[in-house]
Amino acid sequence: MESSELERFEAVVLPHLDAAYTLARYLTRNDHDAQDVVQDASLRALRYFHGFRGAGSAEGRAWLLAIVRNTAYTWQRRRRADTLTTEFDEERHSESVADRHPEATVEATSQRAALRRAIDELGPEFREVIVLRELEGLSYKEISDVAGVPVGTVMSRLARARRRLEEALCADPEDC
Amino acid sequence: MTHSAVAAQLDAYLDGELAAPDAARLERRRRALSAALRDQLPRFPAPDTLRAGVRAGVRAEAGRRARRRAPSWGALAVAASLALVAFGSRQLALRGAAGEAITNQVLASHVRSLMPGHLTDVLSSDQHTVKPWFNGKLDFSPPVYDFAGAGFPLVGGRLEYVDGGPVAALAYRRRQHVINVFLWPADRGRTAGPRAATRQGYHLLHWATPAYAYWVASDLGLAELGDFVALLQRGDSAAAAVR
Repeated sequence: MESSELERFEAVVLPHLDAAYTLARYLTRNDHDAQDVVQDASLRALRYFHGFRGAGSAEGRAWLLAIVRNTAYTWQRRRRADTLTTEFDEERHSESVADRHPEATVEATSQRAALRRAIDELGPEFREVIVLRELEGLSYKEISDVAGVPVGTVMSRLARARRRLEEALCADPEDC
Repeated sequence: MTHSAVAAQLDAYLDGELAAPDAARLERRRRALSAALRDQLPRFPAPDTLRAGVRAGVRAEAGRRARRRAPSWGALAVAASLALVAFGSRQLALRGAAGEAITNQVLASHVRSLMPGHLTDVLSSDQHTVKPWFNGKLDFSPPVYDFAGAGFPLVGGRLEYVDGGPVAALAYRRRQHVINVFLWPADRGRTAGPRAATRQGYHLLHWATPAYAYWVASDLGLAELGDFVALLQRGDSAAAAVR
């Protein structure tokens, strides 16, 4: 790889490491795995970089996030070689964000804690659309590219995920 | 409100049959949820070690690929050595090759240390924790400094294996840049190597004091790395003056 191409790669990819790590962290629900996933994904990105035709920063971000997502799923599959399903085992892998924060016990009744628990309990296909839409502000089209599903599926997954989260936020159903 | 009730309301809303106040309430709820998610879901900034590890991994991989395509560096090195031998500078060639080997080992150790979880065996910014940690692991007690005041905080230490022996590696930090200091007793033998080299985007600096052979590796800019080296050298000469 020529140094000019390396520089271009770094300019495209390195600014989006926070977004990459956030997505990996939500998908793996674990700091260590998330770091490994992003490290691995960045090398994969380098390998596929010659095929990247985008120019803008937004395109670079969506492109990197797609690779991070696929890497995370590959990791989880490899971990669970006993079954062929891509679904996460909620019992075994529920290392919830809330559990890992000591302050969570203090604010167990707070909205924030309820939200963290609720998102951890979502299936990964719902968690990723929420992170991509609400935290990263990706468009439906970009999410469809990252997740590799049609825009219609993105919309229905978002709707379902939001309904579940709204429920979690409403302690008193009469308010909602 | 149950799911199906929400779904029914949404349908009514889209059909234009929902009473205005209900439609407004539906919209308000959706905006409130998005705001709550944006404000309250944690974001996870990439840790410094990950950032450094990605950069190191990418550069190492890019370097490997460049070497595969370019004419073999091994062949070039052999040709260069032969040229030097032909000049009658056999000693120089041997020294150069030895220095090259150490340079490569230091670079490899540095890059490996940047991968997640490899930077430190003892993680502490306290020099009085890091220095004693080497007791029983090395046959020398490396000088460990705390330059936090000068903007180079100590991160920790670990053992490395360079030039056929165990050496002390100390990790310092400057903003997001990791600086590795490798050192071993000067009396262990040759302290060959260039005084400064840049490989794969990393700067490697080398010097020797009467007591130790030093190598410093980092992606930090040379000017600031030079400041750091000056701090180390001042620390050592102060220690020597006390002795």
